[in-house]
Amino acid sequence: MPPRTELLKGTLDLLILKTLETGARHGLLIADRIEQLTRGTFSVKPGSLFPALHRLEQWGFVAGTWTSNDEGRRVKSYALTAAGRRQLASEKRQWARITVAVNLVLDEG
Amino acid sequence: MPLLSGLASFWRTLLHRTRLDADLDDELRAYVDLLVERKVRAGADPAEARRTALADMGGLVQVRDQVRGVRLGVGVETTLHDVRYAWRGLRRSPGFTTVTILTLALGIGANTAIFSVVRAMLLAPLPYRDSSRLVFVWSDMTMAGYPRAPLSAPELKDLRDRSTLFTSFGSIWATTAALTGDGDPEQLRVGLVSTNFFSAVLGVDAAFGRTFAVDDESQTAPRTILLGWPLWQRRFGGDPAVVGRAIQVNGQPATVVGVMPADFRLLMPPDAAVPDDLQAWVLLNPQAIIRGPRGQQYLRVVGRMKPGVTVEQAREEIDGIAAAISSQFTEYGAKGRVFTTVGLQADGVRHIRPVLLALFGGVAILLLIACVNVAALLVARAASRTRDTAVRLSLGAGRGRLIRQCIVEGVVLATLGTAAGVLVGRLGLQALLALRPDSLSRLGTARIDRAVLAFTAGTAVLWGLLCSLAPLVEVVRTNLVGAMQQGGRRAAGVLHYRMRAGLVVFQIALSVVLLVGAALMVRTFLQIQSVDPGFRSDRMLTFRIALPGNRYASADTFNAFGRQLQAELAAVTGVIGVGSVSHLPYDNLPNWGGPYVASPGADESTAVFSDHRAVSPGFFETVGARLVDGRSFTEDDDPRREAVAIVDDQLARRAWPGERAVGKRIAADPRSTGHPVHWATVVGVVRHMRHRSLLENLTDQVYFAERQIQRNPMAYVVKTTGDPAALAATVRQIVAKLDPQLPVYDIRPLDEYVTSARAAQRFATILAAAFAIVALLLAAVGVYGVIAYAVTRRRYEFGVRLALGARRWQVTALVVREGGWLAALGLVIGLVGAGIAARLLQSQLFGITPRDAPSYAAAILAIAATAFVACWLPARRAAAIAPIEALRTD
Repeated sequence: MPPRTELLKGTLDLLILKTLETGARHGLLIADRIEQLTRGTFSVKPGSLFPALHRLEQWGFVAGTWTSNDEGRRVKSYALTAAGRRQLASEKRQWARITVAVNLVLDEG
Repeated sequence: MPLLSGLASFWRTLLHRTRLDADLDDELRAYVDLLVERKVRAGADPAEARRTALADMGGLVQVRDQVRGVRLGVGVETTLHDVRYAWRGLRRSPGFTTVTILTLALGIGANTAIFSVVRAMLLAPLPYRDSSRLVFVWSDMTMAGYPRAPLSAPELKDLRDRSTLFTSFGSIWATTAALTGDGDPEQLRVGLVSTNFFSAVLGVDAAFGRTFAVDDESQTAPRTILLGWPLWQRRFGGDPAVVGRAIQVNGQPATVVGVMPADFRLLMPPDAAVPDDLQAWVLLNPQAIIRGPRGQQYLRVVGRMKPGVTVEQAREEIDGIAAAISSQFTEYGAKGRVFTTVGLQADGVRHIRPVLLALFGGVAILLLIACVNVAALLVARAASRTRDTAVRLSLGAGRGRLIRQCIVEGVVLATLGTAAGVLVGRLGLQALLALRPDSLSRLGTARIDRAVLAFTAGTAVLWGLLCSLAPLVEVVRTNLVGAMQQGGRRAAGVLHYRMRAGLVVFQIALSVVLLVGAALMVRTFLQIQSVDPGFRSDRMLTFRIALPGNRYASADTFNAFGRQLQAELAAVTGVIGVGSVSHLPYDNLPNWGGPYVASPGADESTAVFSDHRAVSPGFFETVGARLVDGRSFTEDDDPRREAVAIVDDQLARRAWPGERAVGKRIAADPRSTGHPVHWATVVGVVRHMRHRSLLENLTDQVYFAERQIQRNPMAYVVKTTGDPAALAATVRQIVAKLDPQLPVYDIRPLDEYVTSARAAQRFATILAAAFAIVALLLAAVGVYGVIAYAVTRRRYEFGVRLALGARRWQVTALVVREGGWLAALGLVIGLVGAGIAARLLQSQLFGITPRDAPSYAAAILAIAATAFVACWLPARRAAAIAPIEALRTD
C-alpha cells in the first residue's frame, strides 16, 4: 500500500529525532526504542533506519560520533544537534496539525 | 544550518567517497555484531545467529546501497562514475571509438561550418542601426531589359519630398578617383554618397573625425573626403592626425573629414554594382540631385523607414509616388515609372538564399547519415556485449543503471565528436572563406561564435541521445537465460541484423539523394563552363588607366595617349593583340546604358535600353569577338569623321528585322544626358557578348568608337602568347614612360573576371561534391560494417556449407548478394527521394533538367561501386573461412 509507506517514511525521521531527545544512541538502540515506544507497531528495519539516519546527519539534524558502549564495543552513536531540536519541534507541530486535520476528515459523518 | 550542512555533505559524497564507505561499513558491521551478540545471549548458536541476523537485515550490501542512494550528490557521483566507465570502455576499443568520433566530427563539422555561413548570410542583421528599417528602391525597367535599374536624381528628391513613412532617403554611386601626392599615384574606388547616407540612413559613425554634414554641401565649403580604414592604414600609416588635412584627389585638394571604422562594410545587393571594397567616399554634388534629367539613372537609393512601418506599407507609398510622378512628368511617356521596394537585408541574399538553404539541407542529411552510422556502430557494440549485459543484470545491476550507462556512453561520444566537429568546422569554414566568390562579401563576416557553438552543442546532444537510444533496445530486451546459454551472439543476432540492415538501407537512400544533388550541380557547372560568351579570355592581361581631365583635356591629347600606349604594348615581344574597352566583362562596376532609337522622332519613352561600351580599334580582334557583318573600328574613326557605332546581332534583329543593319542610323546616349541624342551610323554587327551574365543574353549592345567619345577610365586588354601575369611589370614600365604621374590599377588576367562570374556556381558545386563524397564514404563504412557483421554471424553456416562442398566463390556470391539487396533497396528509395529533392534545386540548374539522366546514372554507379567494394571485402573473408575452425570455435 504505497500511501502508507509514504506516511511512514516521513514519520520515521520524526520518530528518530524524538528517540534522541533524551540522549545519544546508536542505530540498534534507536530501533529498539522506537519498537518499545510504539509497543511493537513499528519495527524499524536497518534498510530504512540507516538511510534515514544518514539523511538526517547530512542535513545536520543529528551528529554521529564513534563511541564505546557499555560493553566496550565501538559503536556509532547519534546525538541531536541544535538544528535537530528545532527541526523536532517544528515536525511535532506539523504532525499535530496533520493529525488534527486527518481526524477531522475521518470523524466527518 | 541545514543548507550549509547539506552542501558540505554534497562535497563529501563527491570527494571522500572511500572514507564515507569505510565508515558506513564499520557502522553496519557493528550493528550486525550487536545483533549477533544479543541472539547468542538469548541462547542461539553463534554461526546460526549471524546467519539470521544478516537475513533479518535484508543483506549487508543491500543496506549499504540504500544508504549510498540517499547521499546528497549521489546522482553526480554515479554519473561521474558512468563517465569514467564509458571512457575506459571506449579506450578499450580504439577502432570503434576513432571511427565513431571521426564520423560524428565530419557530420557535426560540416553542420557547424554551414550554419555559421547561414547565420552570417541569412540570419544576422546587417551591421547598421536598426537595419530592418532599411529598404532598397529599384526602378523596374523590365520592358527595357533592366528589371532592376537605379534611380535618377530628381526621383530621389521626389521620394524625399513626397513620402511620409520614411525618416530619410540616401543614395550612393561608385566611381574612381586618382589619389596623388604622398607617394605613388593610385586610382581609388570611390563612393559618391548623399550627405545623409552614413549619418541618417545607415546610421554608422566614423572611427575618427565625422561622416558628412550638411555644411559640407555649401559651394563655398572646401571639398571633403571620408577615408576607409584599409586605405587610411596603408596610405596614411593609421595616423589620426590626417583628419582635417587636405589630400590631392583628382588633382584638387580635398579635406579628410573622417575615417570609417575597421569593421565597416558596405553591403549592398550584388547587382547594385556598388563594390564592397570602396576605399573612400566623397559627396555627390548636391546641386546635381535637384537638377539633372529624369532619364539619367545612376543613384542606388536606400531609404530608412520610420519605426513601426512595414516594408509592405512602404512599398505601397512608394508605388503611389511612382504613379504620381508618372502622370505628372511627360518624360516618362506612356510607359510611366515603376519602383520596386525591397528590404535591404532580404535583397542582398536573394540569389544565394536558395543555395544556402539547399546546402543546409545537404549538411542536415549528412549529419543524419553520420548519426545512423554511429547508431549502427553502437548497436554492433551492444551486440558484442550482450553476454556482458546479461551477466551484469544477473548480478543485480538495475536496468535503469545500465540504460543510464548507455546514454552516458552516447553523450561522451557525442561530446568528443562535437569537440572534433568544431575543429573540423573551423577548418571547413576557413576552406569556405578561401573559396568564397566575391559576390558573397557577407560571407566574410561568418564566424564560429557563441551562437554557432550553441547550435552545434544542441545538435550534438540531441544526436548523442538519439544515437544512444539504438543499443538501448538491446539492454531492455536482453533475455537473461537465453543470452547466458547461447553465448549471446546468436541470440540477439536477428534483431541486430534487422536494425542494422534497416539503418544501412536508410543511409544508402540518403547518400543517393546527396549524390544526385551533387551530380546535378556538377553537370550544371560543366554546362556553364562550356557556355560560349562570345569572346575569349585566355592569355589576356587587363589593366585600367584613368586619364586626369586637366592634363588630357582635348580629344587629341586624349586619343594620342591611347594610340601611343596601344602601339608600345603591341611592340612588346609575345604580344599578339591590344585593345581597350570602357567596361570589362563581369567587372562589377556600375553599368553604362540607356534607351536607343533607330529612327528620328521615335518615342524615346518606349525605347528599348542597350548596354553601352566604348571600344578602341583592336579590341574586338583581341578578344576574338565575331564580326557578323560590316567592319570593326579603325583609328580613322575619330572626332573628325562622322559618328559610328557597332551593334550586336540581337539589337540588329530587333531594330531592323529582316534588313541589313550596316548603314542604318541609331541614336543612343553615350554622354549620359538621359536622352538618346547621339546619332551614329552602324558600321558593323558583332555576335552578342555575354558581358554581364554567362547564363543568358541580357540587353542589346551598342559599341561606340572610343576615339570619338573619349570614355574615361579605360581598361586595356593585352593578348600574349605566354603567361599574361608576367607582362605586368612591362605594362607598368611602358605607362610610366608615357606618363609617370599615371596610376595603373586592377592589373589582372581577363580569365579572372570570367572565373568570378562562375564563382558562385563553382562554390556551390565544390560544396555539393564534398558533401556527396563524405556521404559516400560514410555509407561505405555503414555497408561494410553490416556485411562484416553478417559474415561473423554466419561463420558457422559458411563453415558447414564449405564442409559440405560449397565452392568458395559461391560463399562470396552469397555475401555479396546479401549486400546487393540492401544497396538495391536503398538505391530505389533514394532515387525516389532524389526525384523530389531535385525539383527544389531547379532554380540552381542551368542547361539541364532536374531529371537529367547522366546525373542519376552517375549517382547509381557511384553507389553500386561503393556498395560492391564494401561487400566484397567481408565476402572474401567469408570465403576464406576454414570449415574445421568455424565449426570448432562457435
